[in-house]
Amino acid sequence: MTDAQDTATVLRAHAEDAYAEELEALAAVDDRPRPPSWKLSPWAVTTYVLGGTLPDGTSISPKYLGSARLVEIAVASLATDRALLLLGVPGTAKTWLSEHLAAAISGSSTLVVQGTAGTPEEALRYGWNYARLLADGPSRAALVAGPVMRAMEEGSLVRVEELTRIPSDVQDSLITILSEKNLPIPELNAEIQARKGFNVIATANNRDKGVNDLSSALRRRFNTVVLPLPDSLDQEVEIVATRVRSLGAALELPADLAALSEIRRVVTVMRELRAGVTEDRRATLKSPSATLSTAEAISVMTNGLSLAAHFGDGTVRANDVAASLVGAVIKDPVQDRVIWQEYLETVVRNRPEWKDLYRACRDLEVLN
Amino acid sequence: MAEVHVLGIRHHGPGSARSVAEALAVLRPDTVLVEGPPELDQVLPFVVDPEMQPPVAGLIYAVDQPRLASFYPMASFSPEWVAIRWALSVGAEVRAIDLPAANAFALRTENEAEEAVDAEPSSAGSPSSLPPSSDDGGGPADAGQSPAAGPGGSPAEPYRPDAIALLAEAAGYSDPERWWEDAVEHRNAGPLDRFAAVAEAIAEIRAVDERPATHPDVIENQRREAAMRRILRSVIREGRERIAVVCGAYHAPALMPEAFPPASADNRLLANLPKAKVAVTWVPWTSDRLSRRSGYGAGVTAPGWYEHLFAHWSAQDETVDVSTTWLVRVAHALRKEDFDASTASVVEANRMADALAAVRGRPSPGLAELDDAAQAVLCDGSPLPLELVYRELTVGPGLGNVPDSAPTVPLAADITAAHRKLRLKASAMEEIVAIDLRKPSQLARSVLLHRLSLLGVDWGTPQDTGRTTGTFKEAWALQWRPELAVAIVEASRYGTTIASAAAACVSDRAGKAADLAELSELLALCLLADLPEGISAVTGALAQRTAVQQDIPALLKTIAPLAQTCRYGNVRGVDVTDVRKILDATVVRASVGLPVACAGLDDDAALAMRRAIDSAQHGLSLLPELPLDDWHQALAAVARSDRLHGSVAGRATRLLLDAGLVERNDVAERLSRRLSVATPAPQAAAWLEGLLSGDAVLLIHDHHLLQIVDGWLAGVQDDAFDDVLPLLRRTFSAFSRAERREIGEQVSRAADITQAAEPTADLTAAGPALRTMARYLGWEVLA
Repeated sequence: MTDAQDTATVLRAHAEDAYAEELEALAAVDDRPRPPSWKLSPWAVTTYVLGGTLPDGTSISPKYLGSARLVEIAVASLATDRALLLLGVPGTAKTWLSEHLAAAISGSSTLVVQGTAGTPEEALRYGWNYARLLADGPSRAALVAGPVMRAMEEGSLVRVEELTRIPSDVQDSLITILSEKNLPIPELNAEIQARKGFNVIATANNRDKGVNDLSSALRRRFNTVVLPLPDSLDQEVEIVATRVRSLGAALELPADLAALSEIRRVVTVMRELRAGVTEDRRATLKSPSATLSTAEAISVMTNGLSLAAHFGDGTVRANDVAASLVGAVIKDPVQDRVIWQEYLETVVRNRPEWKDLYRACRDLEVLN
Repeated sequence: MAEVHVLGIRHHGPGSARSVAEALAVLRPDTVLVEGPPELDQVLPFVVDPEMQPPVAGLIYAVDQPRLASFYPMASFSPEWVAIRWALSVGAEVRAIDLPAANAFALRTENEAEEAVDAEPSSAGSPSSLPPSSDDGGGPADAGQSPAAGPGGSPAEPYRPDAIALLAEAAGYSDPERWWEDAVEHRNAGPLDRFAAVAEAIAEIRAVDERPATHPDVIENQRREAAMRRILRSVIREGRERIAVVCGAYHAPALMPEAFPPASADNRLLANLPKAKVAVTWVPWTSDRLSRRSGYGAGVTAPGWYEHLFAHWSAQDETVDVSTTWLVRVAHALRKEDFDASTASVVEANRMADALAAVRGRPSPGLAELDDAAQAVLCDGSPLPLELVYRELTVGPGLGNVPDSAPTVPLAADITAAHRKLRLKASAMEEIVAIDLRKPSQLARSVLLHRLSLLGVDWGTPQDTGRTTGTFKEAWALQWRPELAVAIVEASRYGTTIASAAAACVSDRAGKAADLAELSELLALCLLADLPEGISAVTGALAQRTAVQQDIPALLKTIAPLAQTCRYGNVRGVDVTDVRKILDATVVRASVGLPVACAGLDDDAALAMRRAIDSAQHGLSLLPELPLDDWHQALAAVARSDRLHGSVAGRATRLLLDAGLVERNDVAERLSRRLSVATPAPQAAAWLEGLLSGDAVLLIHDHHLLQIVDGWLAGVQDDAFDDVLPLLRRTFSAFSRAERREIGEQVSRAADITQAAEPTADLTAAGPALRTMARYLGWEVLA
């Protein structure tokens, strides 16, 4: 932000930097009405997220492969100045979608509060520069604005990640901000009033245990969109392939993702174990405790890509994915191992074209 | 020259209905022609009857074959309904134009006869195909939107190009419904321009239709349009000045007088068509049937939403917003299901729907936007709460009403009168009615429902009464479905009142019954439906059948219904002397045949035989005065033999034991012999199963028997025990957990049981208690 780094050298560029050209092209052709402080019209934001080809021939890559309906609902609710809550199991692109929405609407996805069990109220409101506080007493100069406060002042979007991990009492400090769009500062007898364009995108996980459920007062102030797991095998393979390619490019891995077959296999394993039934719906399986979402498949493939690049011949093979695949499935060392072995012996073994994967996984068993 | 305006509409399109109303107000025609067979003309005046409540349907059926029927459903938002009402209220003439149903039915029968020759005789196109399939065929389900096949009902047949879908595709819409809504129904142009534009567009579509002229659907459409033109020509000849034609958009280009083919060509098409005799009436219809989900070809996805739209447009109140009122209704329905849906959230949902419509580039929020907004704001993103209210709101619970004066068959009038007398209200939503048979008025309800179901009018379906073993309660699920109207017309050939029709129907079925089981079932139904004449017809048939019946299980199974008739028929005032005679004869016949019939049975046959014996025993136990010597002798013969299948022999032993006709020691002896090592394990298990199956009560309360089993089990040698264990387990696992525990506890107290088994009570001490008990029972205490 302050120190402008070259996008090429950072490990992971912000969405607005990585897709700067697309955003510019969209802004150039976008002649539809924009809500106050929005960098693009709702139509252009939807196009940016879902992909498409612009009248001038620029092709916009799809960022979210899934139901267009959900993206439209999300954009529409941000346009009504209602806060947006993205719900879903881990790995359903909640954070990914919220980052791109913020980048497209406000031109910046950097105003983020990462929710944890230890998130203090200061993160959602403001803190103090104690040296100045002691020296000069309470003043605006001694105030350290948090991301939410900055977004209110700038009239931009702020993201709250993992909202349900934040303790309930801290969560509730969002209520005034969301309903009255202002942030009182009793110490200074002042308040910050949000500028037009301010809004909150929160993400939350509806699978985790031990989270702090939203109070109904807070929940009422959000429009909720539930992001589902991908419907079909092909769709999920496409998502994984797209993401692994762009990650591989960012990490400068020389390996080649020659065919989709390896991805298809990994995704099939994940889907079958997740759903508890084989893709041909002929046999039921036990499901392990791990979520096995699309994000997990992406990380297994990226790992395989890296193994193939540095220790293999550059092409991803069964050996390269086996280790991380087993690691992704077996989260509970006792129960999940039994489930995995059962799957290996009853399903993987009976698929002739999967012989190499079976052998690779068996070899790992022996090592363990 | 007369002025003819063709208004091409979408059936059940509220926007079309509104446009038709506007157009009629501008045109003020003296004659309104509405798409529909001309037979409907005679019942059209009922549309303005104050008692007529849409949704209703015109029902046309072939008099001599009532299953051949067509419905013409109309809702308050159907353009046809609006046009007819307008015409009748201003005194303009209104007529239906289409191919007469008399010809359509006759053609349908002919086609089916041809198909039957070509294909299997039992193909789906047989005349007995269910009424719902005829919804698609003859209903106004033809404006090119109906994906369903024509009257033949064979889905493989390519349908005429879907005109609306092609137009929608050209406009870049994936869903033709939405295109029509956006491009036609939500458009604020003048009504006449709108209809002209639609007709022009459809004409283009029709021009690209490349199907051969011999295609059955093309032929049918040509005939129908020729018939429409013929009526239109005669109306013009009558000298009418201003004529408005309301028809499906697909037919609009064909009905423009300037584009008419020569009259002779049309007459040639319509010459020498076969004819059937038809009758016509109005029947109540339901919103559910209007919805596409129910399989109605020209149905709409959301009748409830369309009704809301139309009511809103008709009210013409600028201050009320259509999406606001809809979302308020959604919120109310959600609250009824115990979801929080605050007023503030409704406001937010309303804004959300507007924003969503803007994002999607639609002129105003449609049902899709309202649903999405409601889901995101009112339901926390979950689709489940909306599904709960889907039926009530989006489809609507509506059931129409038809005035009593509408023409109908006498049986239908009798049924309506009975409904009214018994205060049973027809409803489109399923409701459960509990009936207490001890109250005369409720008993009458039960009788009515049983009679109707005998007649094939399945308005009510019997339900499980829940946790009660009492016989005085019945539960019925009542749901009125429009096709029941056809069932009533069909049943009317049996008689003019419910009682006489049901009795005639029973005699008819008794004459055709395939086997004894069907007859005995009929007998039981007659008893429930209170049909003494039916009973005599069935017993007559039974007497003939039982005399020649060789199959013992079938004979055994008739015993229970016959015995029930004897037992309860008296209560209901039925003369059962004849039934009793048949019962006696049947018992004797079954008893004589039983031992032989039990020989050489395999497992399945033995199971069937055991069930038959059980059912017969159950029936016989209803009539304690019946002499049972023959029966018991037969059972004894079965029980004695070691060569018969264990399941049957064990059962016979048990029945004799229950009747006190076999010594316990004998049972113990048989038990241990049957379970001994030399007997093959499956046979042993079958015997034990036959002896014990059904209820554990015997083992729990008959300590002696429990002792026998316990003693035998303790004596089984170790190596044999391993073989016997799974078989025993099979028998005992049928008992409930509590029963098994009780048995276990009793066995562990085996020593006490031996003591307690002998009554050692002190009678003197029990004296006062016995005396009090006797007083309760009203007995006189002697000492």
